[in-house]
Amino acid sequence: MTRLLEIARNDRRQRRPMTFARASACLVFLLAAASWGYILLGTDSGVGDLVSTQTWSDAGRFFGRLLGIGVDTQPAYFQADQWVEKGKLAYQTLAMSVLAISIAGIGAFLTFLPGSRNVSSGDLGGAPSHAGFVTYCLFRWFFTVTRAVPELVWAMIIVFFLSPGILPGALALALHNYGVLAKLSSEVVENVDPGPARSLRSSGAGGFQMLLYGILPQTLPQFVTYLLYRWEVVIRTTVVVGFVSATGLGREFRLSLSFFHYTELGLIIFWYLLLVIGVDLLCAWMRRLAR
Amino acid sequence: MWRLLENRRLLSLLLGAAFVWSLVSVDWGGAFVHAGGIGTLQQFLLAAFPPELSPAFLRIGLNAAWQTTTFAVASLTIAVVIGLPSGVLASGQLIPRSRRGSSVALGARLLLAVIRSVHELVWAVIFVAAFGFSSLAAILAIAIPYGGILGRIYGERLADVPEEPLRALRASGASPITVLIYGRMPMALPDLLSYTFYRLECAIRAAAIMSFVGIRGLGFEIQLSLQELLFSQVWTLLMFLVALVVLVDIWSTRVRRSLAA
Repeated sequence: MTRLLEIARNDRRQRRPMTFARASACLVFLLAAASWGYILLGTDSGVGDLVSTQTWSDAGRFFGRLLGIGVDTQPAYFQADQWVEKGKLAYQTLAMSVLAISIAGIGAFLTFLPGSRNVSSGDLGGAPSHAGFVTYCLFRWFFTVTRAVPELVWAMIIVFFLSPGILPGALALALHNYGVLAKLSSEVVENVDPGPARSLRSSGAGGFQMLLYGILPQTLPQFVTYLLYRWEVVIRTTVVVGFVSATGLGREFRLSLSFFHYTELGLIIFWYLLLVIGVDLLCAWMRRLAR
Repeated sequence: MWRLLENRRLLSLLLGAAFVWSLVSVDWGGAFVHAGGIGTLQQFLLAAFPPELSPAFLRIGLNAAWQTTTFAVASLTIAVVIGLPSGVLASGQLIPRSRRGSSVALGARLLLAVIRSVHELVWAVIFVAAFGFSSLAAILAIAIPYGGILGRIYGERLADVPEEPLRALRASGASPITVLIYGRMPMALPDLLSYTFYRLECAIRAAAIMSFVGIRGLGFEIQLSLQELLFSQVWTLLMFLVALVVLVDIWSTRVRRSLAA
């Protein structure tokens, strides 16, 4: 009997070998269980509040106030100057997002080539060198560090040096998105068809000419696609960074929340959604142009 | 050919104009740097050599990293629960080639677009204002927009698989559900997984910034250390953040490679 079981077990093991993927799946389930366990038992989870009617009526009152229900003052929706004021902030927010993605894009464009393994290693026809490898590692490290830190944390650090305004927020957004863009585009270069670059090299083109005519034409459309995709992310995050850098819609969002100006908050959320949807549509159109 | 060239030229022009406009809108007259800002920057950069590495602080960092990870993982589990079914609906493959099927797909796509248009921290601030502070508020705040983006990507990847194997399945009489489970899902799986891993990486960052609504974790510790101007501690915590992201990255690459083999 035990022998039979052993055979069955062996048979099972042979049919379903413990691959890395399967081990990872087990680990994911363990991690999820442990996380939920910690959150439900070790933190103020708030699951109990979900069944209390008090919570829901408070929430209902909050959302009602956003729409102007149960507010004694005249709702901001009916004041033209409020519309203009919040519109100006939305304009400022848009400018901040464009500045951020521009800085990130220019930075990434200037550095994604040395951060690609095949360019630095000379795989495309240059000579392999230690210097190339070292610059590759340094750039990769820089991409990772800038990418790993969220925009909001960069903003919290940057406001220590720069005075409030569009610039610190834009820099914080740019720093994180630089890391993302540079990483993504250097991966595009690593997957590029090496043929054109190699044949340029072998027909006597210099390193710069090879990059300009062999690599860039293949990578540029993808780069622009990533740039537009990141802009869609940036416009969503600009408001959040504005919480810290005290600019645009984000600043007003915080202020109206702490002063209980609920209808102004509703108006700000409306402008925010308008910005996000507008940028999404614009990006979809520009992506079609890039194709 | 001409048209293509025109389109791209127009695009370059637009991008350039947008950049110039954003430069113009900065108030270049004002003072950019705080009084003493340069000195603080110097202090901040020098504090990285070395970062705070005392065992007591490393324990704090490790604990914070664990808290951030739990919030990220918990949020992502809910996001997948939202994203997978809605992604299947949005792909339009469950009820193919009928008017009802395409209107369901359109509805799902619209809903996904709405929930992912609001940033996770904006959701968090609203939830905390409406329901009060709790872990669940922060987790849902991350899970809702992430569910939206996962649903969109899952839908696109499920719709984009090669058609021939599916045709073979259909020819042998498979129903749309069978085609989905035995045809589309396995073919799209590597892409779905690596995108989910990428979102885990993003969820770690999102969980870290939930410190803004009072959730403990790496962001919370960074805020504390910044307030006390202990910059070398900030660097240690940033390195923990980097380590988490790199770990997820390596894990994702290895899983993908193992699936491809």
